[in-house]
Amino acid sequence: MIPGAELRLSRPADAGAPRPIRHALGAFLAALDVAPVIRADILVAVGEALANSVEHAYGHEPGAVEIYARVRDERMLLVDVLDGGRFIEREATPGRGLGLRIVHAIASAVQIDTVGGTRVSMAFDTAPRRRSGPRGQSLAT
Amino acid sequence: MSRQSSLCVVKLVGELDIGQRDEVAAALRLDDGDGPVLVDLGEVTYADSTVIGELLRFRNDAEARGRRIALLIGSPQFARLLQYAGLPEAFAVFDNRAAALTFLAGAGP
Repeated sequence: MIPGAELRLSRPADAGAPRPIRHALGAFLAALDVAPVIRADILVAVGEALANSVEHAYGHEPGAVEIYARVRDERMLLVDVLDGGRFIEREATPGRGLGLRIVHAIASAVQIDTVGGTRVSMAFDTAPRRRSGPRGQSLAT
Repeated sequence: MSRQSSLCVVKLVGELDIGQRDEVAAALRLDDGDGPVLVDLGEVTYADSTVIGELLRFRNDAEARGRRIALLIGSPQFARLLQYAGLPEAFAVFDNRAAALTFLAGAGP
């Protein structure tokens, strides 16, 4: 990891936004030599925050979703997902409401600010090691 | 009298997120048969909670009709996603097609 490296992206907040943002973040993480399994987990967590944002942020109003990723130090990566809309955890159908649970299971720390829009701030430990899964399973990374 | 119940196979491929929700929902439909159901995720390269939600709905539909259902995965990533979602036991998950078919050949839902 290269301390100070950062990635900022903004896309119209529609259902097609998460994929290209994940691809760009994936390339950024690969350039930083983040291990593939950790990279995949980070993309899942950020993808859930993006999905939540594009589904609920603006209703039918146009708006943007932004990502701000930066390397804090040799092992910690910070990623914010921001929008100008309201925050609603998805729960409409079976399986919804799982997004934030997944984010919390993967990220080392999560903070959600909902003043003037929504900012989901996530911190990820990128150091390869054996981690405990959500139910105590040992997940090889 | 008995007859062989035919296997219903649904195969999903590629990167599946909220942008493909309608396509995933359309693909996860039961046929008119009464055989077991195999969902082949072996070529899925990314899946999120949108996919889990649709799979839960599909599982409920299948089990309501007394049909056994199994998921076939190609990498550990989807199994980890289920763990992160707190649903490690929600599906019978296999990384081996033969093992999945053996499970589906068993009795009961």
